Amino acid sequence: MTARFDTPLDSWIGRATCDLSLDSAAQVRAEIVEHFESARETAIVAGTNAADADRAALAALGDARAANCQYRKVLLTSAEAKMLREGNWEARAVCARPWLKTLMQAVPAIPLAVTFVMLSRGEAAAARLPFLASLALFMFLAGPFLPVYTPWRGRVYRAAKWAALIAVFVLAFGADSLKYFWLIASCLWIPIWTEATRMSIRRKLPVAQWPKQLYL
Amino acid sequence: MNFKGTLPTLILQALAEEPSHGYRIAQRIKARSKGVLDFKEGTLYPALHKLENEGLVASYEGVEQGRTRRCYRITKSGKAVLTKDRSEWRELSRAVTLILEEA
Repeated sequence: MTARFDTPLDSWIGRATCDLSLDSAAQVRAEIVEHFESARETAIVAGTNAADADRAALAALGDARAANCQYRKVLLTSAEAKMLREGNWEARAVCARPWLKTLMQAVPAIPLAVTFVMLSRGEAAAARLPFLASLALFMFLAGPFLPVYTPWRGRVYRAAKWAALIAVFVLAFGADSLKYFWLIASCLWIPIWTEATRMSIRRKLPVAQWPKQLYL
Repeated sequence: MNFKGTLPTLILQALAEEPSHGYRIAQRIKARSKGVLDFKEGTLYPALHKLENEGLVASYEGVEQGRTRRCYRITKSGKAVLTKDRSEWRELSRAVTLILEEA
């Protein structure tokens, strides 16, 4: 279905709000219509006829695509709004099934148990890998239950999470880590993409409006 | 004239003089520069949103001539950034003038 624009201003706004979330698009529409009306009224008061005033007010807004490019850097896009709506899947899943919380906290215990078994057998060097795997799983799965409620704690948590994750891969592949970089990157592309989107949202939303998942 | 990068500072200066809505900010910048700094007004609002996200300006609903309008005012941190930007601009301007006058 293609969008239908009744006036040149609608068309301008349609292009300027392309890919923005519904709320962001409504905000842009309101401010641009307000601005356009003011410019139009000023021109009419100065003696310009209505048609010329419309044209001048629209021309003063400039290129809609350039405006869209800038709006997308400062307002939520539809993909980011979707992530904000659906990104707290852990919290929703845990609320619906309380046993899931226990399970999510128990999963990191498995590689930790393996670590202790290996240590008891004297395989200290090899035990590093399950230990770090346990740490990385803990960082990912226990995140929603940790007291990470401030930007500073969030930064520390994220740094620790990524450091643990990278350490696991470096330990797993050893000297071949760089050779298998493509494998690591393809395994991690979803967390990397999620992290990049959350970074973008963090820049656009005031801290007071951050939901829990933005701290993680 | 291209004044890329200085628009946020000019917005802060306009708001330091008086809280205002987007259209008036644009008109004030153009009038104060005697028309030299002409910019596309569609780019003003993304700059205002960025300043708002950074906590340098705050928005509120104002009423003007019976119409509700989104108005902006500079915050305390906005004033601090403006002071810093002003002194940086003076230094830069002085340095560029020195070089150009030597030529």
